[in-house]
Amino acid sequence: MLRIAQGRVYDPANGIDGEVRDVCLDGGRVVEELPSHAPRIDARGMVVMPGGVDIHSHIAGPAVNAARKLSPEEHRADVLDRTATTRSGTGGTVPSSFTTGYRYALLGYTTVVEAATPPLAARHTLAELRDTPIVDAAFLVLMGNNLSLFELIRDGGPVTEAVAWLLDAAGGYGVKLVNPGGVEMWKHGNRNVTSLDDQVEGLGVTPRRVLEAVATSVDELGLPHPVHVHCNNLGVAGNWRTTLDTLDALEGRRAHLAHVQFHAYGGTPGKRPRSSAPELVEHLAAHPEHSADVGQVMFGPATTMTVDAPVSALLREVTGGKWVNADLEAETGCGIVPFTYRERNYVHALQWAIGLELFLLSRDPWRVVLSTDHPNGGSFLSYPRLIRLLMDREFRNEQIGRVNKKAIRRTVLGDDLEREYTLGEIAIITRAGPARLLGLADKGHLGVGADADVTIYSEHEDREQMFATPRFVIKGGRVIVEEGELREAPAGDLLRVAVDHDEAIERTLAPLFEEHYSVQLANYPVREPWLLEPARRVPAGGGR
Amino acid sequence: MAERAATCAGCGCGCDDIDVAVAAGALERASGTCVLGDAWLAERTGDAPPVARVDGREVDFADAVEASAAILGDARLPLVCGLGQTDCESQRAAVALAEAVGGVIDPTGPEVDGAAGAASQAIGVSTASFGELRDRAELVVTWLADPVTSNPRLLPRLRLDRAGRAAERTLVVIDARRTATADEADEFIELPPQLELQALWAMRALVRDVPLDRDLAARLPLDALERLAGRLRTCNYAALIYDAGLTTAYVNALGLLALVRDLARVAHVVALPLRHEGNARGAEDVLAWQTGYPAAVSFARGHPRARPGEFTAAELLARGETDAALIVGFDALRLLPPRAADHLRRIPTIVIDPRDTETGAGARVAFATAAAGVHRDGTAHRMDGVPVALRAPLPSDRVGDGDVLAAIEARVTRGEEP
Ligand code: SF4
Ligand SMILES: [Zn+2]
Repeated sequence: MLRIAQGRVYDPANGIDGEVRDVCLDGGRVVEELPSHAPRIDARGMVVMPGGVDIHSHIAGPAVNAARKLSPEEHRADVLDRTATTRSGTGGTVPSSFTTGYRYALLGYTTVVEAATPPLAARHTLAELRDTPIVDAAFLVLMGNNLSLFELIRDGGPVTEAVAWLLDAAGGYGVKLVNPGGVEMWKHGNRNVTSLDDQVEGLGVTPRRVLEAVATSVDELGLPHPVHVHCNNLGVAGNWRTTLDTLDALEGRRAHLAHVQFHAYGGTPGKRPRSSAPELVEHLAAHPEHSADVGQVMFGPATTMTVDAPVSALLREVTGGKWVNADLEAETGCGIVPFTYRERNYVHALQWAIGLELFLLSRDPWRVVLSTDHPNGGSFLSYPRLIRLLMDREFRNEQIGRVNKKAIRRTVLGDDLEREYTLGEIAIITRAGPARLLGLADKGHLGVGADADVTIYSEHEDREQMFATPRFVIKGGRVIVEEGELREAPAGDLLRVAVDHDEAIERTLAPLFEEHYSVQLANYPVREPWLLEPARRVPAGGGR
Repeated sequence: MAERAATCAGCGCGCDDIDVAVAAGALERASGTCVLGDAWLAERTGDAPPVARVDGREVDFADAVEASAAILGDARLPLVCGLGQTDCESQRAAVALAEAVGGVIDPTGPEVDGAAGAASQAIGVSTASFGELRDRAELVVTWLADPVTSNPRLLPRLRLDRAGRAAERTLVVIDARRTATADEADEFIELPPQLELQALWAMRALVRDVPLDRDLAARLPLDALERLAGRLRTCNYAALIYDAGLTTAYVNALGLLALVRDLARVAHVVALPLRHEGNARGAEDVLAWQTGYPAAVSFARGHPRARPGEFTAAELLARGETDAALIVGFDALRLLPPRAADHLRRIPTIVIDPRDTETGAGARVAFATAAAGVHRDGTAHRMDGVPVALRAPLPSDRVGDGDVLAAIEARVTRGEEP
């Protein structure tokens, strides 16, 4: 039992915008009332929000772990000691697993979505999530370059059943498409696709057909989260047209675009990009079935880590530094390049500015939400600074003054955009919005019955400082962080979708599986309780 | 008699298509395994020593846990090593224990891949899973590696053995002598091992079309290397297989990965490191996610620090710097270099192993466990990184490696009675 008394509450999902009131917690849930003797936190003068929800991050699995191995220098410079309640670890842009959980919690985040897990590697992701404490975690299952699905799509087979089966086999939450068709082409002699209608060689599908088929299946299954799309042509000048084509192709179907900043470039391929953020904002404003997270770039160190392996090969040529490529049979690829974003660099400054444009021009904060595509655009630890950029025009203009001028001229940022996000809007883009887009009905709000995940901040004029060090973080009703210190570190839940599939799909998949995989079909689905439990199943609302 | 599905962890191939025939709770026969797999199974299904021993005498499990906790608690710098033959779940428990006692942890097997691992940390690596090599690689080169001996089912599984290889695919073997793998190849290129580095640099020069040092060229099988470089450059998908356990020199490992990187700019080229132990890859992966580093980690200062060399188990032992050792699934006395083994004989050791080993017989405390993949479910990471489920085709009333490790950790950190 805990009463959070007399804080200024921001609970946009319930229409509460800075009202002073009590929030009562009991049995891991928000409740209507508590007896007066219940323990309390005196939150007078403080800001109370639901726990943060990260809709798109890379925190666990083989790609993340390969990146960890690649950055001993970063780890040496950032260490965490063991304490009575916490395991030791290392930080940097790709922290060790325990540290990832602690630091998300210390930041006031209580739910995180790992955005790219190949089903074949689900056991690895799940084991890492078990070692990522405190936060409830879900992961998205990669399906955009899956050979079995390609064949079913080509032949008009039972794609929807296969999607449901894959989700269940992996223990995943939602469906992710990354550069559909392009990663497969990368494995055909380092090629790629450049438009929705390019053929995926020898497979009889195009990116468009994959997008349409999988998005349709996701809607048919009524998955809580729409298909989560990393569009083709990431990072390429002029790619906003591909992004728009993608959205047009998905018109009338729900879709979430990942890190749309990386897909909002004007200009012509091979030439200097400029911003096309306004065009994409227009589309999103007109299409309530579509949403995006921004994928803001923040200056400083990052680690680019993507399933979009051909993009990584280009970045390798830019940095000349470390590079990992890992092809995973029948499902995906992976590329990793450590990277630094610099203020003076035209492209980096443009990327930074486009991200801010997307936030500042967006008309519906519920559908354009915050991410840095951690650690691609920067670490999740940079969220507080990003929040300050959005809330504090003076600070923003000062920062704009420091970065590459030519880049700023290619955006509308130079016009001194007046907009300053309110605390209510920040609460939307960092918790209420992501939770709603994810279909997590118990997260991202403080209505009766919601999970008792609450973050309490001290009011501070410097919004970066305010959001970097919450006074209290409460997870499942337990006070995890107090005065910026971790008090305990319980395990979080796995959030997975509950979706039925017809058992007959295994017979359809068996020959495809036999052909494409080097493991046995019977061993592919994760059934191990120690990997899957404790979990919470979020039901698909299927029209079936 | 019942047929049960199993996964072999006899080497890094993690073959998950094994059938085990069981009668009256005992192994009758296995099908699908190779000779190494049969040996792996036999070692884990033979007569096992008592569950717990202290100084060779059978004791209660709780007393052995107590004795282990005392040894580790008294030690100034305890070492946790082995790990390549147990499951990821037990490896997680091993890291937790090493951290709790402020020790050093280093995955240590008969072949250690320190150099290859360090090189991939320095420049990265291009790699692929078995299925990709099988279905896409037109040209496969084994570079001073003999998978037919070290990982017997690898070539058939990749359809690279003579019988299974399609006509349009090519296997080239580069080695010091005609190995069993060379007998399967389309071409064998003989390369004296002391010229490995020179050959790698020559290949890099050929691939990048830069002039070669003539003196160097004269000592190398240049025609063959030149032909090979040409083929690698023009293929759609090629793979280099090397032996992570045999690549001992850092510069050579670096040269190999740099060659793959050069090649990757002109063709799709990947490298696959062979691993001898069934879950050597998992040990590195678990250590990396829990600490940020794949090997040679010290918790002596309360947080992870990695120093390949300084904290490498064999070297730490050889320098006499550790005063207690906990060894998981590794016959260290038989397989470590003599100086390291000598020091191990002088310090108190705790051995956790399903097998009856020389190291276990000489240990202060020895636990004989249920074997991962035979009596216990678990997870292993194949040498290509793919996680596979380990099954428990045989029953056992013993606990697994991870349970022992967790019991010791609970005793050390919380004073819990096992
Ligand atoms: S190749 Fe390796 S994993 Fe496969 S059966 Fe032989 S020893 Fe076991
Ligand atoms: Zn991402």
